[in-house]
Amino acid sequence: MTYDLQFFYVWQNLDKLGRGVLVSLELTGLANLIGLTAGFAIALMLRARTPVLRVPATALVELFRCTPVLIQVVWFFYCVPILFNLFVDPMVMAVLALGLNLAAFNAEGYRAAIQSVPREQYDACAALGLGGWTRVRHVVLPHALRAALPVLMTNGITIFQQSALVALVAIPDLMYEGKMLSTETYRPIETYTVVAAIYFAISAPISLIVQRIEARFDRVQA
Amino acid sequence: MRPRLFPWRKATETMVQNKLLKIHNLHKSYGDLEIFKGLSLAMDRGDRLVIIGPSGGGKSTLLRIVMGLEDIVGGDVYLDGKPYILRDGGKTKIDHKLQARVGMVFQHYTLFPHLDILRNLTLAPVKTRGTPRAEAEAKAMALLDRFGLAAKARSYPSQLSGGQKQRVAIARALMLDPDLLLFDEVTSALDPELVAEVEAVMMELADQGMPMMIVTHDMHFARNIASRVVFAAGGVVVEDGPPEQVLDNPQVARTREFVERVFARKK
Repeated sequence: MTYDLQFFYVWQNLDKLGRGVLVSLELTGLANLIGLTAGFAIALMLRARTPVLRVPATALVELFRCTPVLIQVVWFFYCVPILFNLFVDPMVMAVLALGLNLAAFNAEGYRAAIQSVPREQYDACAALGLGGWTRVRHVVLPHALRAALPVLMTNGITIFQQSALVALVAIPDLMYEGKMLSTETYRPIETYTVVAAIYFAISAPISLIVQRIEARFDRVQA
Repeated sequence: MRPRLFPWRKATETMVQNKLLKIHNLHKSYGDLEIFKGLSLAMDRGDRLVIIGPSGGGKSTLLRIVMGLEDIVGGDVYLDGKPYILRDGGKTKIDHKLQARVGMVFQHYTLFPHLDILRNLTLAPVKTRGTPRAEAEAKAMALLDRFGLAAKARSYPSQLSGGQKQRVAIARALMLDPDLLLFDEVTSALDPELVAEVEAVMMELADQGMPMMIVTHDMHFARNIASRVVFAAGGVVVEDGPPEQVLDNPQVARTREFVERVFARKK
């Protein structure tokens, strides 16, 4: 194969890709905001004794975990407006789709983390007269949030990568700008390679941080 | 409880007569497995009870019940003459005011890993007793100092040895000034060379008259620290007496058999 790599056009249009990166980061940030807060609320619902809270939470989590993100994005973009007569900015829909998806996965992360608090810690609390909110605030949550942190961060960067799917519904994120650029310049190989490199350059450091936190966490546990 | 004639007057006489702890006709089971079949046991203020018995015989369960960590099936527990744990309407009722007067040290330390040693000690008094932080910290430092751990006040549990962690756990329990301290196999998870430092702390508390209930596999230590040894098996107390009796000259055949087996293994 003799293909002459020409990165010139990509370099010349880096500002466009840059704008795309900002949109992708904005999507990721907002989705994480929803994912971290709604995910926590859903996790509490998952642990509720009453089925009134537990059943809808379980249904929501499983719906998002058991369907492709691509369908979720498309569904929010094309179906929600018509079904619920809700016509809002596409960006809002994209954030909702990604945010709720992340919330579902984070809810599982939070739930597992709360469950990972050792039984003995509750015994110690009872022996020291620590109960109710004091116990939650000073013992259960610090324990659980630490345990959940690596999962939450991993989910958070996964959603950054999955945010590329919103290019399909014409939101000008990094993927979308890349697609446009490759069509304009007839340089798909160079463009997509640079786009991939940008996704990698942003995700990889966070992934490394997660690994460090996990290693540290293992040490502390031992 | 017997109604008092002058309820506003502290019933000094009865307080003296009252047993510190009285367990009456205790029943406990896990599913089909009956752990206690009407166990009764009483303890005076000066007592240091060591509970021995076959494994799976419910020694730890007994401590957990006295701490208020377990449901019971029947019977009642009195602390200082007042009803502490009882069955009522199919539920286990625990008087939490009385529960606060009992402290417990666990086999696996159960320190709070995210708090430094000082905060491990002050969390409960500050949050549940409303003790001012400065006061709690002064008390904590005094205790740590006494146990040779003052330098570790700002360390985290993961930075301590097992023996140090267990001494911190004892200090943490002492922060709440318990009337009765329960020790559940506190040296079982420790490397042999660390056992002595924990036992030394317990001996010191014993010398100061702290009432204790101890479950341990260390018969030598049991003999040293106990004022009474209780042999529990088959869901009841089989033999109860001073260590010289229960460990050296058991009166009941079942105790003798157990003690001989344990000491034979040790040698």
